[in-house]
Amino acid sequence: MNFVLLFLITIFSLSLFFYGRSKTKSISIEKNIRLNALPKFYGYYLVLWCSIPALVFLLVWSLFEPVIIKSIIIETAANQGAIFNDKNEANLIYEKIKAIHLGTYFGDIDSILKESALAYAKFINIFTNSKVVLIFGIIIASVIYSLKKIKNNNKARDDVEVILKGLLFVSSLIAILTTLGIIFSLLFESIKFFSVINIFDYLFGTNWSPQRAFVRDASSITVAELEELKDAFGFIPLIAGTSFIAFIAMLVAVPIGLFSGIYMAEYASIKVRRISKPIIEILAGIPTVVYGFFAALTVGPFFRQVGENFGLTVSSESALAAGLIMGIMIIPYVSSLSDDVINSVPQSLRDGSYAVGATKSETIKQVVIPAALPGIIGSVLLAVSRAIGETMIVVMAAGLAANLTINPLESTTTITTQIVMILVGDQEFDSPKTQSAFALGLTLFIATLILNYIAQRAVKKYREKYD
Amino acid sequence: MNNIKIKSKNLNVYYGDKQALFDVNLDLNEKEVTALIGPSGCGKSTFIRCINRMNDVIDICKVTGNIEMDGMNINDKDLDVVSLRERVGMVFQKPNPFPKSIYDNISYGPKIHGKGETKSELDQIVENSLKKSALWEEVKDRLDEPGTSLSGGQQQRLCIARAISVNPEVILMDEPCSALDPIATAKIEELIDELKKTYTIVIVTHSMAQAVRVSQKTGFFHLGKLIEVGNTEKIFKNPDNKMTQDYITGRFG
Repeated sequence: MNFVLLFLITIFSLSLFFYGRSKTKSISIEKNIRLNALPKFYGYYLVLWCSIPALVFLLVWSLFEPVIIKSIIIETAANQGAIFNDKNEANLIYEKIKAIHLGTYFGDIDSILKESALAYAKFINIFTNSKVVLIFGIIIASVIYSLKKIKNNNKARDDVEVILKGLLFVSSLIAILTTLGIIFSLLFESIKFFSVINIFDYLFGTNWSPQRAFVRDASSITVAELEELKDAFGFIPLIAGTSFIAFIAMLVAVPIGLFSGIYMAEYASIKVRRISKPIIEILAGIPTVVYGFFAALTVGPFFRQVGENFGLTVSSESALAAGLIMGIMIIPYVSSLSDDVINSVPQSLRDGSYAVGATKSETIKQVVIPAALPGIIGSVLLAVSRAIGETMIVVMAAGLAANLTINPLESTTTITTQIVMILVGDQEFDSPKTQSAFALGLTLFIATLILNYIAQRAVKKYREKYD
Repeated sequence: MNNIKIKSKNLNVYYGDKQALFDVNLDLNEKEVTALIGPSGCGKSTFIRCINRMNDVIDICKVTGNIEMDGMNINDKDLDVVSLRERVGMVFQKPNPFPKSIYDNISYGPKIHGKGETKSELDQIVENSLKKSALWEEVKDRLDEPGTSLSGGQQQRLCIARAISVNPEVILMDEPCSALDPIATAKIEELIDELKKTYTIVIVTHSMAQAVRVSQKTGFFHLGKLIEVGNTEKIFKNPDNKMTQDYITGRFG
């Protein structure tokens, strides 16, 4: 039904566009007046008036219809004598009624259910009919209103501008609100988690073994069990593993990325630059899962082999392999961003340095890099926040056990890996184990937020200096 | 009449396919100010950038012909550019202090050339350079502050101090006052008068009045050619060439 309505609204709007355009044209010729806007604006004006009120109405209606029908039906069923003790049972009965209506219910149908299903069918019918009538009413009303307006040669251009501005505003509002929604859902689930697990036990605990909380849900947990869970959610091994792998990644990415950025910006000829810069940036376009199996299947076993030759025990899922591959993945971020900031250091500074007799490398080391430093720091921080948020490589190559270790040859785990592990498979939603994923997500979000904020401040400060 | 410090013979400069200078023959006298005038894009800046080989920075730039300083061929492929630039300093159109402290801005050059090995020697160089550029009194109490915190005119004098710091023989100035207000300009002009006692100065300028005020010799460039050169007084009062006459009286340019 909704699709038919949408289709009709589209057809009406389109035909109104052509109508409005030609109508105003003929008005202007007939009465020999100058229009207040180009004819096509009158077309747009009609389209917007025909479609937006109807669409908004349809959206609001579709949101509220199921809720209203549900409450009416549950009430009718209760009046018929159906008995339910809580919300869940009421929902169950409602679902049964719906299934009977659709003919997909195969249980016993008693008179209460039968009556309710009939009532349901009746209400659905009433609601659908009134929806269609109302929509057409709205379309007719708004079209009559807008036609009258354009016949009076209104300032359609300005009106269209205002409506378009409103549309753009609503779009950005949706983007912002969904982001806020995600943040708040993280926050609320985390609060639930922290009502079971003490936040200090979480932040400073050194043991991470959430599987212990698997069987129990939070509402029926006993004091003894709670005591046992106390040290199951220690965050320290995860942040340690995350930082450790990110650190190894930065050890790889910062020098190589920075040096290649300097080469690209200062030494490479235009020709070399034009070819090699996109090639470096391709590295950033490789899906992380590809890096992941490269790390897990090639680099990890290779390190293990090499380690064995030296008599070292190397876990096949090692922090070193994951960090190394992650570092390679991040090189293009560092190199491309630092290339950009080095490039925007004004040539006049280099000239000033050459003019007192400095060589190219002296100039780069003592003038260009210090001038670009805030921007370079910003690009490194962005890379760090990319590294700690990276998931696929560490899931595949870093291991799952929460080891508190600083041996790069052992396996270790990260925040992102644990979130994946917790949420893969069947979950009970109010188990502390599941909720811990939200707490981890929130922690990760806050960490990257702070890093990004500092990075952007640094980059901005740098820009202000030279603009 | 002073000795000839720099001598160019049949100097040609090309940027890619475009020729920017055509057979320029120009002599610059020692401890004198030579002003180069002419409409934008006429090759004045290109010429002075030949003197300290700054054109090397531009990949597509090619220089042919001869340019000598005290008989040494500046254009020689084997010439040590670093020591050339130690002898020929440059001040640019827009003040370009490094994003470092005032002190570090001045000590940068001497350090690169291994001058001022002890802290006190370096302090002395910084002080002398700032005194010579008439900036010392204004900044002596805040040498740690960034050079970029100074006003435009002060920044330009800082850049002059930076050029002086390595004790050059020649100072090239590429429209040093074009970004400055009249008061700051007057200070720089005064400074140039003072500096010519020690240094050979070449100044590119768009201001006829400035050329008259500061220079002893003036060269007029047009479309990459040196049209006329002579004593400043003669060029501005009684030029030989009609084009020079037209330019200085503002009929074109």
